[in-house]
Amino acid sequence: MTNKPKVAICWLGSCGGCDEAVVDLNEAILQVADAVEIILWPIAMDFKYHNIEAMGDNEITLSIINGHVRNSEQEEMAKLLRKKSQIVLALGSCACFGGTPGLANFRTKEDIFNWVYRDAPTVINPKGNYPQPEVQVGGRELTLPEFYEDVHTLDQVIDVDYYLPGCPPPPELILNAINAVLEEKLPPKGSTLTPHKPLCDTCPRNETKPDRLALKEIKRIHEVDADPNTCFLAQGILCLGPATRTGCGEACININIPCRGCFGPVEGVVDGGTKFISSLASILDAEDEEEVKRVVDTIDDLAGYLYRFSLPASLLRRRRVGEETNLKI
Amino acid sequence: MSDYEPNLVCFSCKFGWGYLSEEDTLSSQIKNWIPIICSGKIDATYVVDAFRRGADGVLILGCPEGDCHYEDGNFEMRKRVYLLRKVLEAYGIEGERLKIELSVDPDGRRIPQLVRKMSDEIKDLGPIKKI
Repeated sequence: MTNKPKVAICWLGSCGGCDEAVVDLNEAILQVADAVEIILWPIAMDFKYHNIEAMGDNEITLSIINGHVRNSEQEEMAKLLRKKSQIVLALGSCACFGGTPGLANFRTKEDIFNWVYRDAPTVINPKGNYPQPEVQVGGRELTLPEFYEDVHTLDQVIDVDYYLPGCPPPPELILNAINAVLEEKLPPKGSTLTPHKPLCDTCPRNETKPDRLALKEIKRIHEVDADPNTCFLAQGILCLGPATRTGCGEACININIPCRGCFGPVEGVVDGGTKFISSLASILDAEDEEEVKRVVDTIDDLAGYLYRFSLPASLLRRRRVGEETNLKI
Repeated sequence: MSDYEPNLVCFSCKFGWGYLSEEDTLSSQIKNWIPIICSGKIDATYVVDAFRRGADGVLILGCPEGDCHYEDGNFEMRKRVYLLRKVLEAYGIEGERLKIELSVDPDGRRIPQLVRKMSDEIKDLGPIKKI
């Protein structure tokens, strides 16, 4: 055993991209590994959960948790790490806001199961088997984690100390966050460890934005040959820059893709989607309601566009289904 | 279901609606009434937050088209309502639960009537679906 600060890195409902972003620290990861003792990192190293269970409360200095929570295993792991950790950092858009898997909250669990295990054209399931949390096989009980009604952000399940969004978060911001913990230079609890401004404020295309934007039609990025230097909104292409926090290094903008909102709402805003509605309405250049309809109806799945990374963290959180659902969390 | 009384929130612009009446008198007749200076001030977040807090419907009363004290705040809100209805439907909240009416009524007598009318329409839809 060493006296180095203990760090856990764990994925819940995640694609692995956030872990990859940690690996992308490159040489800097060696300095981090020197300065801390990594006691859990399932994607990269072999540790056992029971070793974490055996640890004392608050023994881990920092737990970096990525991914959303949708099943009982993810909930259990999140709660275990919270119990054993002094500081929990929600890493990435899934942990902070639910991420793209959070779009599933526009569907019910029943819809999802029916599609995946019955209706999808690639499914052959003549017995109509659906996964069960418990099943008896040869006199033994086999268990699976329970799939919950909806996708949760990490802070809907446990107390979170700091947030670092992004899909994935830029490695330099991850390094800053780890250094802030090691140097004990952390901002107040609950802070998001990124700049506070909206993306438009740091966007290299900002100077090409006209004083008054006026959208006569809305185009999708793949439908046009977008100019690589001009503001996307000025070209009639939806870009969530006005309602999204900056800090990403303008990664999408630099490859000629409009902002899709992975950094979430700017400081002090709860629901980035409704803020973008207000912003979009004001730049729609329409004379009457008919023209509004004509322009807006060309947007496929407006709600999905607004909440691509943040549906579970939005004010309304999920689709209303009827009678009260037995939400486990 | 007969005793179901929808929970409505009504925003109205002070420039066009009820400015000749005592606000206190009118507010005693209209539950959840929020007089505001310009319907264009109603952020999309306020509307969504009303539904989050359990509103069954939201009624917005703005000034007649082309007659906004701030040029076009009322039309800005009309555009927002169109966008909001699409988003609300994705959440399983029927678009009819959000209405905007652009007109003028200095006495404000029509405000309780319009709230009642929308309330009756919402009764047919029933309470807002649960999460």
